[in-house]
Amino acid sequence: MKRGFALYLAFLLFMTCFLGWYLTRPKVLTVGLFAGSNWNVPEGDSYALLEEAIKRFEAEHPGVTVKYVSGIRKDDYSEWLAERLLKGEEPDIFVVPGEDFNLYASIGALQPLDRSMNGDESFDPSVYYPRALDYGRYQGISYALPVGAVTTLMFVNKTLLAKEGIPIPANNWTWQDFLQICKAVTKDTDGDGRLDQFGVYDYTWRKAALTNDVPIFAEDGRSADFSGPHMEEVMRFMAELHAVSKGQEVTAKDFDMGRVAFRPFSFAEYRTYKPYPWRIKKYSSFEWDCIKLPAGPSGGNGSIMQTMLVGISARSSEQRLAWELLKTICYDPVIQEMVLTKSQGLPVRRDVVESARAQELFTNSTPGSDEMNLKTVSEVMADSLTEPKFPRYKEAMNLADNRLFHAVQENSSLSNALSQVQKEINIYLQR
Amino acid sequence: MTEAYTPEERRLEWLYGLLGLYNGLVVLLMAGFMSLTQEKIITTMSAHAFLTTLPIVPLPAFKGFLASVGAYALLLLLGKLYRHGGIASGQRHLVFAAEIGVCMLLMRSLNLAYDGVVLLAVADLMHRYQGENQSWLLLGAMLGLYFMANYNLAIFQRHVAPFDVYAAYYRPEVQSVLLAIKNGLISLNIVLFVLYLVLLVQSKHHEKERIASLNKQLEEANVRLRAYAIEAERTAETRERNRLAREIHDTLGHTLTGIVAGLDACLVLVDAAPGAVKKQMEKIRATAQHGIVDVRRSVKKLRPDDLEKMPLKQAVKKVIAEFGASSGVDIHLVELGWPEKLREDEEEVIYRIVQEGITNARRHGKADKVTVTCGLEPGRFYIIIADNGTGCEAPQQGFGLRHMEERLALLHGRLRYWSDNGFTLEATIPMGKNVMDNNGEDNG
Repeated sequence: MKRGFALYLAFLLFMTCFLGWYLTRPKVLTVGLFAGSNWNVPEGDSYALLEEAIKRFEAEHPGVTVKYVSGIRKDDYSEWLAERLLKGEEPDIFVVPGEDFNLYASIGALQPLDRSMNGDESFDPSVYYPRALDYGRYQGISYALPVGAVTTLMFVNKTLLAKEGIPIPANNWTWQDFLQICKAVTKDTDGDGRLDQFGVYDYTWRKAALTNDVPIFAEDGRSADFSGPHMEEVMRFMAELHAVSKGQEVTAKDFDMGRVAFRPFSFAEYRTYKPYPWRIKKYSSFEWDCIKLPAGPSGGNGSIMQTMLVGISARSSEQRLAWELLKTICYDPVIQEMVLTKSQGLPVRRDVVESARAQELFTNSTPGSDEMNLKTVSEVMADSLTEPKFPRYKEAMNLADNRLFHAVQENSSLSNALSQVQKEINIYLQR
Repeated sequence: MTEAYTPEERRLEWLYGLLGLYNGLVVLLMAGFMSLTQEKIITTMSAHAFLTTLPIVPLPAFKGFLASVGAYALLLLLGKLYRHGGIASGQRHLVFAAEIGVCMLLMRSLNLAYDGVVLLAVADLMHRYQGENQSWLLLGAMLGLYFMANYNLAIFQRHVAPFDVYAAYYRPEVQSVLLAIKNGLISLNIVLFVLYLVLLVQSKHHEKERIASLNKQLEEANVRLRAYAIEAERTAETRERNRLAREIHDTLGHTLTGIVAGLDACLVLVDAAPGAVKKQMEKIRATAQHGIVDVRRSVKKLRPDDLEKMPLKQAVKKVIAEFGASSGVDIHLVELGWPEKLREDEEEVIYRIVQEGITNARRHGKADKVTVTCGLEPGRFYIIIADNGTGCEAPQQGFGLRHMEERLALLHGRLRYWSDNGFTLEATIPMGKNVMDNNGEDNG
C-alpha cells in the first residue's frame, strides 16, 4: 500500500516535470523556400524578405526560433520538398510551387487554412486580390496564402514605334489595333530581301486565348475544351499574326537588337530589366515600356497572374504558431510592402499596392518607369487570370502547343483541327 | 494446463502458433519492403514522381515500419488474451472489438497490401466458438468481419499508398516477381488458415462424438441400474414374504398349534375331568395371550423404520426429501397444520399415503413437480398430493389406490382423486372428539 502510494507520487512528479518541460521547451519552426526569384528573373538577395519576416515574428513570439534551409535551387526545390515529405521532415511552413499545389492539397500534405482564417479576428482575407487568394484554394478550401504575384504585360518598343510614327497604344487596345501595328512595322529595312523588323515576339496562343475569354481546361484538369467559337477566333487571329512575318522566325536576338515592336513580359521581368544595371546590359539600344495585353473580340485586356504560395504542413506540431508565422509572411503590411523593394514581384494585398507609399517605393526602386502607375498595375492584377494548377498542366500545355502549332502551320480546316487537338488532349488528361 | 490438452488440441495450438508466426513474417516483409522502397526512392531523387502517384503522404519509412510491427504485436497480445485470458464474457467481447480495431489499424499501416491478418482474428473467433446457439452469432460476426474488411478497403483506398505504387518503382520484370511473391504470401496464409479451420472443426467434431459416446454409456448404465433396482425390489419382497411366513409360522403357527393341541386335550378331558379342562383352558389362554404379544411384536416390526425413530412430521419430511433427492422430482411440502396427537395406526396410514402418493406421481404420472399439502380442518386432517404429471382419467386399481382406500376406511377416512393439470389425490382422516366418540361407540 505504501509502496503503491510512493509509486503514484513518483509518477505524478514525473508527469509534472514532463508537462513543465513540454510547455516551456524551446519551439522551433522551420520554413522551406528556394533561392532565387519565383519568377525566373535574377534576384540579388532572395532571403531578405524572409529574414525580415522572421525578425518580426521572433520579436513578437519570444522563445520561438524560426529556421530555414538556404541554398536550394528553384529547379531542385520541388524534389527537395517531396523528399522531405516522404521522410516526414517537411518544414512547418513552405513555399508551394504552383504546379505542385493541387498535388499537395489533394494528398493532404497541406493544412486547410479556413478555420484559422475565419477564427482569426486580425485576419481579413478581402484585402487580397481575389484571384491571388483563389490561387491557394483547392476544391473551395484554402490551403495556402499568396505572398507575392506578378502579371504579364505587353512590352512596347517606344523607339521603334516612334521611328515608324505610330503612337503607343492605349491600355484598352484590341487585337485589330495589335494586328495593324504589327503589319505596319513588319518590313525589310536594309533591302536584303529578308524581313528584319517585326511586330511581335513570343506572343502565344495561350495569351490570345486568355484575352478572348477561353477557359481551356476544366477546373479539375480532367478535360479540355478547344472546340468553342472563341477558340476559333483565337486560332484565326494567330494565323493572321503568323502570316504577317511571312513564315520567318522571330528570335530573341531580334528583340534584343530592338527590331521587334512588342513582346509580352512578366512584371518581374519588367522590373528586373528596367532598372540599372540589367537595363544597360540587356536592352540599351532602345526605350521601352509596358501596357496591358490587347483584347480579343470576346474578351478583355486581361493578363495572366503568377502567384507565389506559402502553406502550412498538415503534420506540423505547432499549427497555431505556424499560422502566426504564415500571417507574418503573407499578411503583415510591412512585409507586403517589402515585396516591392526586396523582390521583383508585387504585393498581393491590394491596399498595399494602391497606397501612396508603395508608389513612392516603387518609383524609387524602379527608375525610369514614368508610364507605370501602380494603380494601373493594381487594376491589371484585379482582373487578371491565373494559370490552371492541376498536376499535368505543363505537359498538357506543351502537347497543345505542339498540336496547335502544327494545325496553324498546315492551315487545314480549323474546326476539324481543333476537335482533333481537343480529342488528343482529353485522352492525355484522362489517362 | 498442458496436461489438460489432448494431442488434437496441442496440434491446433501449434498450427495457430504457426499461423501467427507466418503472419508476423509477412507483416515484417511487407512493411520492410515498403519502408526500404521509400528510402530508396528518396535516395534516387524520385520522390516527387512517387508522390504524384499517391493519394496521400505516406508515413516516414521507419515510422511506418514501426507502426505495422507494433500493431501486429498488439494484435497477437489481444489474440492471446482473447483465447486464454481468464476474463469475463463481456470483457472478452471488448477484447475482440479491440482486436478488430487493431486489425484495421494494421491493415491501414500496411497500406492494405496485406489483409491476411483478418483471418487471424477470425481464427480467434472460431476458437472461442462453442455450442449450436452461437452459430448465428458466429455467422453474424464473420459477415461483419468480411464487410469490415471490404469497407476498410473502400474507405481507406483513397487514404493509403497502394502496394502497386511501391512496386512500380522497380523494373517491370522485378514488379511481376514482387507481385507474384505478394500473392504467394497471401495464398499460403489462406492455405494455413483453411488447415487450421479443418483441424478445429475436426477437433470439435471429435469432442462431440466423445460426449455422445459417454452419454450412450451412461444411458446403458441407467437401464442396467433400473433393472437391478426392480430385481432388488422383487428380492426384498420375496425376502419380506419369507420373513413374514417365517414369523407367522414361528409365532402364530406355534401358538395356534399349541392352542389346537390344548383344545384337543380339552375335548378329551371335558367329560372326564372338568377341573383339568379348566386348568388346561387357562394354559391355552396363556398361550393365546402369548401369541397376541408375539403378533403385536411382529406387526410392530413391519412398521416403517422412520416412524419408529421419529415423529410423523419429521418422517414425512424425510421421506419427501429422500424421494425427491433420489428421483429428481421437485417435491414441495406445504404445512398448514399437523394434528397434535395421533395414534400409531393413523400415523402409519398417513405416512404410507404420502409415500405411495409421491411414488405414484413419479411412476405413473411421470411428474417432475409435486406439491404435498397437509392441514387441519375442524374435525379432520387432510393431505393433498398434486402433481404436474400426465394424470389419469380412470385410474386403474392396483396403483395402490384401493389399498389406500382400505387403510383409510379403517380409520373412517375418505380418499378422493381426480385429474386436472396432473393428478391430485386428497385423503381426509376424521380427527378430534367426535372421532373419539365414534370410536367409543363402535367399541361399545
